[in-house]
Amino acid sequence: MVRFKSRYLLCEVCVPERNSLQLLDERAIHHTLRAAVNRAHGDYGSALFNIGVNVKYLNALTGVVFIRCRKAHYRLIWSALPFITHLEDRGQTQNVQCFFNCIHVGGTIKTSQKFLAQYNRQQLHRMLLDCNTDAEKQHVRRALLSCSVGNVKREEADDEEGSDDDDE
Amino acid sequence: MYRLLICRAEYSPYRMMTGAKDRMRQKKMKNQPRNVTYSSTGRSVERGQGSHASGWVRGHQAGGQGYSQHLPKYITASHFANARAAEVNSMLKAVNKPAGSCHVFSALPKHMRRRAMSHNTKRLPSRLREGAQKLMERSQQTEKEKKHLPKRRSRRARRRHGNLLLEFNRRQRKNKWLETHIWHAKRFHMVKRWSYCLPHKPTAKTFRSSYRAMNTHALLQDLSYFCCLELQGSEETILRALVRLTSKDTGPTFGAELFLSGSRQGSVHLYRADQFPHGSLGPADFLWRPRAPHTSHRQLWIWIHPALKAVKHLSNNTLCHYSGAVSLSAQSDADKNAIVLSFNNGLFCLALVCPRQKRKRDDEDCINAPSKKLLGDCTRAAGTPVRWGSVDTTITISDLTMEIVRYRLIGPLAHMVLTDTLQPANEDKETVEPSGFWWPNHSQDQTNMKLHQQQTDTFQLLRGVSSTGEIPAGCVLGLTVDDPRLSLPQRRSKSLPDLQPSADECGVRDLTLRGVGAHCSESALWDASVRHSVTHNQMAQQELNRMRSEALVPGSRLAAPPQSRVPVLLVHQPGRVRGEERRHWGSGWDLLLPKGWGMAFWIPLVYRGVRVGGLHMSVKHSQFKGQPHFPHDYPDCPAGTLFQLEQEAELIEKFKRRPPAKRTNYIKHGCLAPFCCPWQQLTEEWEELMKLNEGTSSICRTRPAEFTILRKGNSAQHFSVQEHTIPWSLRVLRQLSVWCRPSRSRRATHPPLTPEVAAELQGEWGRSLMWVRLRLLSKGQPALHAMVCVPTVSDLQLLLKDGRSSGPLEPLHKDHVKNMLKRKHKASHASEGSSAAPNSNGSEALPVGLIRGVWPQPLPSVLSHCSRLTLGWVQKGDFSLAAGCGEALAYVSVSGLLHTLLQQPQEQRGIVLLRNPSSLQYRYAQIVVDI
Repeated sequence: MVRFKSRYLLCEVCVPERNSLQLLDERAIHHTLRAAVNRAHGDYGSALFNIGVNVKYLNALTGVVFIRCRKAHYRLIWSALPFITHLEDRGQTQNVQCFFNCIHVGGTIKTSQKFLAQYNRQQLHRMLLDCNTDAEKQHVRRALLSCSVGNVKREEADDEEGSDDDDE
Repeated sequence: MYRLLICRAEYSPYRMMTGAKDRMRQKKMKNQPRNVTYSSTGRSVERGQGSHASGWVRGHQAGGQGYSQHLPKYITASHFANARAAEVNSMLKAVNKPAGSCHVFSALPKHMRRRAMSHNTKRLPSRLREGAQKLMERSQQTEKEKKHLPKRRSRRARRRHGNLLLEFNRRQRKNKWLETHIWHAKRFHMVKRWSYCLPHKPTAKTFRSSYRAMNTHALLQDLSYFCCLELQGSEETILRALVRLTSKDTGPTFGAELFLSGSRQGSVHLYRADQFPHGSLGPADFLWRPRAPHTSHRQLWIWIHPALKAVKHLSNNTLCHYSGAVSLSAQSDADKNAIVLSFNNGLFCLALVCPRQKRKRDDEDCINAPSKKLLGDCTRAAGTPVRWGSVDTTITISDLTMEIVRYRLIGPLAHMVLTDTLQPANEDKETVEPSGFWWPNHSQDQTNMKLHQQQTDTFQLLRGVSSTGEIPAGCVLGLTVDDPRLSLPQRRSKSLPDLQPSADECGVRDLTLRGVGAHCSESALWDASVRHSVTHNQMAQQELNRMRSEALVPGSRLAAPPQSRVPVLLVHQPGRVRGEERRHWGSGWDLLLPKGWGMAFWIPLVYRGVRVGGLHMSVKHSQFKGQPHFPHDYPDCPAGTLFQLEQEAELIEKFKRRPPAKRTNYIKHGCLAPFCCPWQQLTEEWEELMKLNEGTSSICRTRPAEFTILRKGNSAQHFSVQEHTIPWSLRVLRQLSVWCRPSRSRRATHPPLTPEVAAELQGEWGRSLMWVRLRLLSKGQPALHAMVCVPTVSDLQLLLKDGRSSGPLEPLHKDHVKNMLKRKHKASHASEGSSAAPNSNGSEALPVGLIRGVWPQPLPSVLSHCSRLTLGWVQKGDFSLAAGCGEALAYVSVSGLLHTLLQQPQEQRGIVLLRNPSSLQYRYAQIVVDI
């Protein structure tokens, strides 16, 4: 098919303090990335960065980010990721230490989403073993149960229509 | 602890896109996960959701609290787990739900797709079969459902008479239709106002021709939407109850002898009980039924505008629920003041509240109801009372809204149109058996026949009158006429006056001098049973057509069957009663008919060559007459206030529709109130200024009272010459009228204008507004809400030097609001640059709802805002076709006017300046107070 092919980088933003998660937003990440690419690859890199790179999804609670970039030069961006040491945003002087941990590189957003779901579930399973108290165990178990496929399918949205006659 | 905000993931510049593309995109992104962020920064919120009108916001937010929120240092297992689980859920949703198209097989890779999968689900892999099956069922079901649904019937079926009537009946449940609705709807732009569907303006260009019709021939209007109230009881009790609603200061009231006899229609201005001159409600017309011999029982019809009715309903909201719930007896128990209270509150509310509650049931009723043409007020539920009695005063009120059709003919030849159209009924000689129809029984009585003969004679005399204006104002003539459809001309023609002199010169002169005799005003229309019988025994159009086709000579007059006698009332409407120019302009006749006969009279009238006008023409008519029009020009009435609010909203809407660069900057033009005039503020400021001028140190301000309007009744009754019988307000107006004229030879009857006299008037009427007419001296076309200003001495000298001078200019004002906006804009930019400074200095808080180019709400002094003092504002202004120059009707402050007149030289009295809201040019105008 004739289309622009992309790569989706699924990254985890790791910060030392949870407080700084508050600062996480789409624009901050975009700027950080741009700066990192610029540092690593110079003007050429930042020019390529301008083409088709955007942040598709961001979850500040888990620190998960989807970055979309063109397949032609995704390595350029990918390779710049390890050089990120802190978040840079235009308006902010607070220096937030962080690093990007790239978990997955996908060809479509769907595969990336699938991977993320699987990865998260894996994390939860892993956590279940490490739980110290019963209460924690309960919580994690409940969370695991709530995110099964059947649970999602159940909530089928049925549309309703309101019709009203209005004329003179 | 902290809030989570979910916002759209995409970083799209197409935030503002609308329409199909947007909807497609929304559908596509429906199941995609949204960003999850903490709310602290605030900007992602602004960006993500397109609904905020503020657009892009940069830098620090004034309201944001920096990054002060703190999360707990350590993470708990439950929090961690929940966040993951939520994410997994959203991802699964995104993965599993189909995005744009909802075909199941699009989930398959291409090499696994097969032909005709959508028809045969067995071709799909079994794991997808279930979903596909469901989809297919749904698509088939919708087809079936479509069959089940009441399919839109074919046009042919819809236009079948019975179905069409049902449809019409359904459509007129919310807004009442006049009987001429269909006729009008084909030719006019219809508007929904006051819960009626009313014609506004013809679709054809008819402004000038309508004016010519009013000027030389006749203009026809359907005024059936006016509400009629019937009061029955003994004369004194009715008068005693009503006297509290009116004041003799505004002119003759319900009790004037001329009106009591029933030979004239009167008009009054209603006030809330005992609150004159405050609490003004609105104008009303009234008509007494002539006294019947041997009884003191009287009938009174009061015609009010529907806006007045609606406002009463609104203002007494609490009471109306109460009175709507209780029955008749309880209600009349409650009012101690009997009729006055019920007049003020109960009646109007009852009529309006009840239909609302029963709406749902009506729907079901109407489906089963036979298709029958609705007559009268069809929004009213079946059980709603239309009649209320009062226990202690024996007065009954009935609501005759839509029971009586009222047509108005305006123009000097209105009487010719009437005499051509209406044929007085001839008495039936061969009445043998008493039938169900009213006329044969009625004509048995000798006295009735005598009266009928007199009325017929008077009606015939009308042909001899050359213009409608010659007849005394407010005359009433009762009549019984044949069905006008019987003598419908074959084609439309214009009725013209007879040029040969009438036979009875003497009778005509008597008619024009004395009007119609009181006994001739009696009509069977007053009788509810006759009205009912006439309405329901109307001959069908089909029958009439058959008779017409059987007539031996085509186009000849048909023989009148016994049921086609209609009692009507002709009521003369005074034309221009004020002032000296164009007296009696726009006079006419009102034709009152029983309901159901609307179209039967309408078509014959139209066939006599009249023009038909809508609401717009009513406004213009009163403008040409120099009269205030209800509810447009009654800013002291609740209905008028409501209208002004609506008008303001409409004008602002219109203003905002223009691109910002093309809008008038009213601030620069020094126009404070282009949309709605602050009358209260104006009167207060003038009063304050006068106090300052006087130098009396009465700093103790009286409590802020409502402004009033100095008015006199519209009825054109000629008062007796004795000074003492003339109402107060009229005398004041007369004095002002004389003072406004730049007179050289003053009549001795009026005292000259001196500061003492002015101060005296000031004390009495300082808080009042006054209706004046302004005639422009040279160029200029005044617009709505143009300012009336006081000329300075140099302005007057300029005029003296050059009579055709176009007037002074207002210097351009500074737009401080624009600067404020700019400063704010700059400040926000700066704060973004220097980033971290949290919540920079609060620049002046801008009021919300600020429109660029319009003064924000707390207005500065309206009086002295411009280089000339403001006297008032124009309510209606236009180029007057009658006068051949710009003319405006305005309200001015009485104290302001006195102040102005005192300072002007004798020969330049009453010269003021007019300036349109969208211009800087002042124009000279002459004030005329019409009496």
